[in-house]
Amino acid sequence: MDAARHAREEDQVTRCTVTTGFFVLGRCGQAAVASCPHCARPVCAAHAAPGGLCPECAAARGYGTQDPHDPAWTRGYRREYYQRSARTYHDSSWYSSFDEYDRGAFNPGDDHSYGGGWGPDDDTGFVDS
Amino acid sequence: MSHGRMKHRAAYVAFDRFPSSKGSGVHIAQMADELFARFGGGLLAVIGGGDLPRYQREGTREIARFDARIPNLIDRAEAFSGWVADHLAEHWETLEVCHVRDPWSALPAVADGRRHKVVYEVNGLPSIEMSHTWPWAAPSTLGKIRELERFCLERSDAIVVPSRVIGEAVRDRGVPGDRIHLVPNGAEVPGETGRPADAPKRYVIYVGALQPWQGLDVLMRAFARLADLGDLRLVVCASVPERRAKPLRRLAERIGVAERIDWRFTLPHHEVAAWLAHAEVSVAPLTGCARNLDQGCAPLKVIESMAAGVPVVASDLPAVRELMADGEHGRLVPADRPAELARTVRILLEYPAEATAMGRNGRAHIEEGLTWARSRARLADVYRTITPAPTGG
Repeated sequence: MDAARHAREEDQVTRCTVTTGFFVLGRCGQAAVASCPHCARPVCAAHAAPGGLCPECAAARGYGTQDPHDPAWTRGYRREYYQRSARTYHDSSWYSSFDEYDRGAFNPGDDHSYGGGWGPDDDTGFVDS
Repeated sequence: MSHGRMKHRAAYVAFDRFPSSKGSGVHIAQMADELFARFGGGLLAVIGGGDLPRYQREGTREIARFDARIPNLIDRAEAFSGWVADHLAEHWETLEVCHVRDPWSALPAVADGRRHKVVYEVNGLPSIEMSHTWPWAAPSTLGKIRELERFCLERSDAIVVPSRVIGEAVRDRGVPGDRIHLVPNGAEVPGETGRPADAPKRYVIYVGALQPWQGLDVLMRAFARLADLGDLRLVVCASVPERRAKPLRRLAERIGVAERIDWRFTLPHHEVAAWLAHAEVSVAPLTGCARNLDQGCAPLKVIESMAAGVPVVASDLPAVRELMADGEHGRLVPADRPAELARTVRILLEYPAEATAMGRNGRAHIEEGLTWARSRARLADVYRTITPAPTGG
């Protein structure tokens, strides 16, 4: 009976859902001690960054936002733009060297392109070993 | 657990989904693991999507995944380049080595004003390979891609290639020979593997992706010539999703072999090893196209089949000859010749003792020279050559 109760209590514990692993991914599964203030994901003591952030949100913060609606985006974008344009335009113009005609051959869904459609489970590499 | 921002000394960048069941997934895991072991961690910037987290932290390692849904390949590749530039910028002052796998990953890494070294791992050249995967691409477009490749190769400090044929292709693009380093692919020799529960009694196996240059159509035509071997089945362990198999399944119907083929899709790596180990013969029917001949390839399926101790029948291409010897680890047959392929498979089936010996030799061949440990040691040498100070780890 005790074992069953124990199992029931175990079920009620909120588990840390942080993705772990490098080649084979899994879930942490330890008992959670906090909930990430940014994405509300439960995190265990080992995975909680300062402020209870989950590793995903903590890492994302280190790279600035990619979301143009975020107020922090403008500042980063402006700085990046000045830095990058100074570098790119005087160096090589790769970002603009493929014209519409070039790009047209690489649309998914044409029967002529190998594999047809394009979805999240598709391979993305240019070359295959 | 690490806090706040991490500053890395190493980064590995690839326009590939990671992890994945494809050969590239295995390769990236081995190479990136070696890089990060030598530089006390690092940033892995790859493609995500699906339910893969956008960011992950594992000790001193970070994985960042690009998951913008941009259908056009060139648009997507350029957006990826910009995203990589943003991510490398955070480590610009501390970065010592950036290891890249394709031109769009390389472009932000070889930028002016860098203090880090760039290792460009060339497993294939998009300017050659994309003419096969995207037949609508005009020669002038492929020319631009070739120019982009040349630009990135020229500015890289070391080029790593998995086969001599690819090394030659890189040399043809004007890269000096002393900058090109051969780091062959490897395999892990698996221990005893249980027979898959749903495995047929006797089967020939194909493992890998399904692009036209893999030659699975040649294998199917060969298999049609083995129809008299009633109990023999063909198992295809495809590393790509099921809908990619549509054209090949239609072909199988048309030539009357569909009923004798068992399809498996995107199996995890260890399950594929079990399927390989219990097969009679593993076939790598690569076609004799420009992609396989001029650009070269380093088919992991050949190495992994040998590691599993199964005799290999493969197309006689220079890149394959680098990996295995005819009559010793299996048989080499002319590419694109179904009749020859069928005959060779039939002979191996008729002489099981010889076939078993070839499988054993193949496994010994891998143990002696083509393990991942050995590949990684060679990669570590490359890092040592280009970074002046001893690199801690």
